[in-house]
Amino acid sequence: MNTLLLEIAVVVLGIVLLLVEAYSNRANKNYLAYTGAAGLFGVLVLSFFPMHAPAAGSPSAAFITHDVLSVFFVRFTLIATIVTLLMIPGYRPVLERYLPAERAGGGVGEFAILPLFVCAGLMWMVSSIDFIMIFVSLELATITLYILATYLRQNAASLEAGTKFLILGALSTGFIVYGISWIFGTTGTTNLLALPAAIQRLPESALTPLLFGIAMVLVALSFKISAFPFQFWVPDVYQGAPTPVTSYLSVASKAAGFVVLIRLLVVLGTVPVISHKLHAVITLLAALTLIFGNFAAIPQTNMKRLLGYSSVAHAGYLLMAVASLGSKMAIPAIGFYLAGYLAMTMLAFVVLTVVSEVTGGDEISRFNGLGRRSPLLAGAMLLASASLAGIPFTAGFIGKLLIFEVAINQGHYGLVALGCVTVAAGFYYYFKVIRAMYWQQPAEETPIRVTFTVKLLIALLGAGILAFGIYPAPLLSALR
Amino acid sequence: MPTLANYLIASGLLFAIGLGGVMLRRSIIIIFMSLELMLSAANLSLVAFSRYGLVSGHQNFDVQVLVFFIITVAAAEVAVGLAIIVSLYRARQTTHVEDLDTLKF
Repeated sequence: MNTLLLEIAVVVLGIVLLLVEAYSNRANKNYLAYTGAAGLFGVLVLSFFPMHAPAAGSPSAAFITHDVLSVFFVRFTLIATIVTLLMIPGYRPVLERYLPAERAGGGVGEFAILPLFVCAGLMWMVSSIDFIMIFVSLELATITLYILATYLRQNAASLEAGTKFLILGALSTGFIVYGISWIFGTTGTTNLLALPAAIQRLPESALTPLLFGIAMVLVALSFKISAFPFQFWVPDVYQGAPTPVTSYLSVASKAAGFVVLIRLLVVLGTVPVISHKLHAVITLLAALTLIFGNFAAIPQTNMKRLLGYSSVAHAGYLLMAVASLGSKMAIPAIGFYLAGYLAMTMLAFVVLTVVSEVTGGDEISRFNGLGRRSPLLAGAMLLASASLAGIPFTAGFIGKLLIFEVAINQGHYGLVALGCVTVAAGFYYYFKVIRAMYWQQPAEETPIRVTFTVKLLIALLGAGILAFGIYPAPLLSALR
Repeated sequence: MPTLANYLIASGLLFAIGLGGVMLRRSIIIIFMSLELMLSAANLSLVAFSRYGLVSGHQNFDVQVLVFFIITVAAAEVAVGLAIIVSLYRARQTTHVEDLDTLKF
């Protein structure tokens, strides 16, 4: 089967669900999220059938590839979207509170449908090998995410988050297209695979404009993966956006940004003149992102904001591996880290959605005494925090171990030393949540009821964290 | 007869004006206009590069399809962006960046 079929199936599913929503009178829109998740699960199953890239010579062959990286991250995106969709039914009371409509449930349905279009955009993004395709799929995902981040349009925080996301997202769009125009201007191609040969033919004088273009594209990608100094939108947007959207932003959209970055750097790594300069820049970015993300997270009191800074910190660890792309194990390490990161971050957000719905806020103090009110939720959060901090027998530990290993292989001893310091800082702020759950008195004692969907998500994501942490071999072999 | 350099300087100026507007102006509408200016700058340089061909000297029209994509994406971005700004104005009666201070730690 042609690999494009997967993305087309996702887009068709989204359009069909939009039509169903438009003609349906049901007030309870949960069925849209469940149908979407089931449809995406079908696509996920389909992705295990033998696939091939578009045939050579066909119009899409120059734009779409089919390799280990794209296969892995297409599935990654699908799973992240399924988890996000399953979080939405639990979030519905918040949506209905901030979206007063004449008809019960009016204006709520699209919240469960738009993630499908983001998913299609990200799936295209991870398989694209041409700047034109990268740009178009990136915008499909980003513009849809603007709508999702602003979805609670009567909530000041969501509006503000959406506006900031819109302006900074559009700014990064400006950078990426201007960068692409200079890369095209010097090399005469927009295809990533044709880039090294075109650069070899360049006269010395054309290298400066080319580097300028590459720098512009790197700035735009740094926005996407929230690398320092382009991370400033992250805490605000993460805090203000609806919780399922925040979790989706921090996992799927960041992973797709990393895949594009890897593809670009792998291609440019074959050109010594450029790769030396880029290598220094990426190493510097990794160090700054590690320092900023971990130390700015320490004083946070809002859980979503804390997870925002934590996501910057994890981008720092991932950039450490990106700086070590010379090692054969670097790409498997990044894929493994992101898979573990999906499980632990999404698990934290699943628990956060339930807790903030019951207690009415996102602050860490809302978790006080959760261990007594709901041992299941507290246990899930404990597992997620332990893995985010990197405690042995969790996916977070193995992920960090693999990344430190490739960094040492490539001689980045300074980065590894810095990584060890920031891991220690990470223990401190993740421990704050654990302390609130088990050592603080709850504001009220009533047990929290947990729906079946949430139990299912906790079981699957928790099993993922432990399974990757104890037996990482199958996941790693999927990436070689 | 204008040369490639003329077009690139014009496009660089447009980009700089856009970036300056985003950094310095305080009204979200103006900031949004400046962002569109940055996209136009990219369009201008893309068309100039494809018409003149910097390295080989050959014309290469492949990339003009990207220009159409950028125009389309900019239109979509404006549609979504203005809707967001309008709902922000309805909720807060302001479109100034200084007034966006709900999210501080």
